Parts: sequence; structure tokens; C-alpha cells
Amino acid sequence: MDKSLSGRRILVVEDEILNLAMLDDILTEAGCESVAAAATIDQAIGMIDERVFDAALLDIKLKGKRAYAVADALGARGVPFVFVTGNSVRDIEDRYRDRPVLRKPFKEEKLIKALTDLLPPRSPDDNQ
Amino acid sequence: MFSVGAHGTGRELLFLRKRIGNKVGRTIGVSADMPERADKSAQQKDAESKVQRFQANLGPFVVATETTRMAMVFTDATERGNPIIFANDSFLSLTGYAREEVLGQEFNFMLAHAADAETLANVKAEFERTSDIVSEILYRRKDGNEFWVALFISPVRDERGHVVQYFASLVDLTKHKEEEARAKILIDELNHRVKNTLSMVQSIVRQALRFHTDPGEIRHAIESRLLALSRSHDLLTRENWRSAGLRDMINDVLEPFDVVGGRADRIVIVGDDIRLPPQTALVLGIGFNELATNAVKYGALSNLAGSVLVEWKIEPSPESSRLILHWREKDGPPVTRPSRLGFGSRMIERGLAHELEGTVDIDYRSNGVVCTINIPVPQDAVDG
Repeated sequence: MDKSLSGRRILVVEDEILNLAMLDDILTEAGCESVAAAATIDQAIGMIDERVFDAALLDIKLKGKRAYAVADALGARGVPFVFVTGNSVRDIEDRYRDRPVLRKPFKEEKLIKALTDLLPPRSPDDNQ
Repeated sequence: MFSVGAHGTGRELLFLRKRIGNKVGRTIGVSADMPERADKSAQQKDAESKVQRFQANLGPFVVATETTRMAMVFTDATERGNPIIFANDSFLSLTGYAREEVLGQEFNFMLAHAADAETLANVKAEFERTSDIVSEILYRRKDGNEFWVALFISPVRDERGHVVQYFASLVDLTKHKEEEARAKILIDELNHRVKNTLSMVQSIVRQALRFHTDPGEIRHAIESRLLALSRSHDLLTRENWRSAGLRDMINDVLEPFDVVGGRADRIVIVGDDIRLPPQTALVLGIGFNELATNAVKYGALSNLAGSVLVEWKIEPSPESSRLILHWREKDGPPVTRPSRLGFGSRMIERGLAHELEGTVDIDYRSNGVVCTINIPVPQDAVDG
């Protein structure tokens, strides 16, 4: 089993439970220390204020609303993140043009790679 | 009424020879000269008398042009900028200008992007009939609002074949453009839903493989969840994806389960029908499908005696009213708490609570499972 996300604390902002369950499984299997889930913009912003995350996955549309406020909060805290979208065409605001995007559906390996690319490599004694 | 434009040099509406396809139509015009520097009232008089002659000669044609709902103008082809020398009422109501504000103006005076080379080229191509493509041009009304127009221009020639006027009709494309925009939104939304659904299918397959090892069980787990999802989509489609009734939703979800002794006697549903927004209906559908699957396999619907009561009520509160739903099983085999959280209970307990921002509790009572769902009453049931 690939443990490339070993010890990482990931925030998943996703409002659809089947998708969330899958992301939760993939991240847990990849060794994440914790996977926190938020279903709404307010929940996500509350969690970003209170907790420390190494990286986040952000579905750009939450209950039909654009979730840029969450992207702003993550940016303000310096938490790197990957956008997740159901759109196959470019639909991310220009100011976030440089952020990585995963388009649903995607392969597990792509998800893991997108997150590991965001995170600084860890030295062996850095664990725990 | 017809009058002479400010840029007029004395010649106007000489001949109307309408070209129809390649055939040259009959000449339907009058010849007129205008004194260059006549006083206004004389000019006006002259113009009016010409209009009368014009109408006498053209009769039905002028009446048709004046009364048609198609916006139309004539321009003077012999003048720079093709000044407008005739505008019908439809043109005026389309553009919001008064007739005297239009007459004498260059044809392009209403262009929203007059400096735009492509727009000018399109208009020019339409005048010269060098393109078969109908040009869509953005114009600006007097009040500043912009609107799209399909522009059709035909030359009017004199007896020697020289173009003396242009006849332009403008078809307002506002409605067409609005429909185009609506169609684009629908296609984007459809694309979004398809991709999201594929992702849900991916999750269903992945979890079936995680929780089951037997191929038959894997197949069954995937099929039953895909079909539950499909039925929820059917229900929402019937209601144009605006909302779904809670009662319909529960009935639809439970419909495919084979219940010995008949569903009607063994599943009782009690509660006023309330409207649910699409996403709430979908997620509750997933939840009830899992509860029913569990009941048929191990619970009150797995023997001949058990039954299920589904009931709900709304608890009003000044801040946010709550919808409290109970799924109560009784008279099934004795219940033991599962040693491992399966796909179903995970979906129900964690998933429902997460997505609906409420609390969900499954109580494995020995005389029957009771699931309690407590969520905010959906506010956006209609426009969701």
C-alpha cells in the first residue's frame, strides 16, 4: 500500500457523501493521520480557523454555491489545496488559475500525486 | 413620416428597384430633386409632397414597410456613411429613438462597438453581400442597453443599375440570445451532474469491493445502489429537478424491495408530505436504501412477522425548524450491533449527518433497529 501521505492532516471540503466516503477511504489508506470533512462553506471556514491542516481538497461547488470563500481562507492560512470540480471545461476564477485542479471522476493515483506535489518532502526523522 | 436627413443633398428615394435573388424587380420609384438651401418649411413641404408621391406610387409597399413588425430602414447609398433616410415604427420602438433623432444619422450610429474592426467588417460585408453568413451585430439603444441584431441588407438600384439606396431589416435577437445562454447553462449543469454521478458510481464500486469479497455480493451491492440512485434521479426528473416530495421519495426507494406478505402491510409511512430540495432528496434516498437493504437482510423485513414504521414530524423553532424522521423496525429477529461499520451504516450515520448538517443515530435495540434523523427543515425546497 502506498503510504505517501503518511502522517498528513487533510481537510476534504465535499458535500456529496458518496464522493466523500471514497476520498476518505483513499486518503486513510494512503496513510493520512486525519481526514476532516466539511460539507458547507461555513463549516469549512470554521475548521480552517480552528485546526491545522497540511493540505486540502476543495470541491468548487458546494450545494450549488461557489466555494471561493473557502479557497480564500485556505490561502490566508497558507494551506495548499487542490480544486475538485465536476466541470470538464475551465471554470475556476482567474485569480486561482495557478492552483491544481482535479476533474471528476479521477484516478486515485492522480489524487495522491496532486496532494504529494503540494506538500514539502519530509525528512525521515520528521515523522510524528 | 418621411423626411429628409440632415446630410441630404437634394436627392432621395430616386428609384426603388428591389433585387430579388438574381432577378431585377420592376422599377418602383419616383424621381425628385430638392433645392439645396431651401427654408425649412419649404423643405418640409417638399418632403411631404414627395412622401405622398412616393406612397401613391408604391402604395402597398410603403404601408407594408411602415406597419411590419420587422424593424426596417432605408439609407442613402450615395452619401458617405449611408445616412438613414427612412425608418419604420418597428425600428423606432426597437431602438428607443424618435424618428427625427434617427433620420440623417449614419447607418452605424447605433453600433455598440463602433470602433471594433470586426463589427465594421461584418456590417460592410452585409452591405456588399460578400458573405452568406447572417451577421449578428451588437447595437445600443438610446437608453444605453445593448441588443443583438441579425442584419439583412439589400441594395436598391436605379435604372442604370447603380446602387442608390440600401434597404436594411433588423431582426432582434434578444430572445434568441437569452435562449442560447439558457441552453448553455443547462448543458454546463448537465455536464456537471454527469461527471458527479460518474464519481458517485466510482465510489459505489470502490466500496462494494472494500466491503465484499464474493463476486455475487459485489455485483449485488453495486447494482442495488446504482438502481437506488437511478430511481432518485427519476423522481427528481419528474419534478424538473426543482424538488421532490418526501413521501414519494420514500415510496420510490422502498419500491424494489421484495417484502414477503406485501409491502403495504409491513411498511407503514406516516407524515405530511413535505418538499425536499434535490440534493436532500438524493442523499435521503441513499440513506433509506441502505436502511431497507439492512432490514431485508438482517432486520424486520428478513422474517415473516416484522414491520417497519417510517414517521416524521416538524419541530418548529424560532431559529430553524427541525425535520425529525424515525425509521422503526419491530418484530424482526433479535438485533445485535454489527461488529464492523459497513457501507450502509457508514453512509447513514456519518454521510447523512455530514451532507444534511444534522444528526443521525442508529440505535440497535434488541427488539428492532431505530434510526433517528434530525435535520434542519429544508428552506430552499422550491428553488433548490
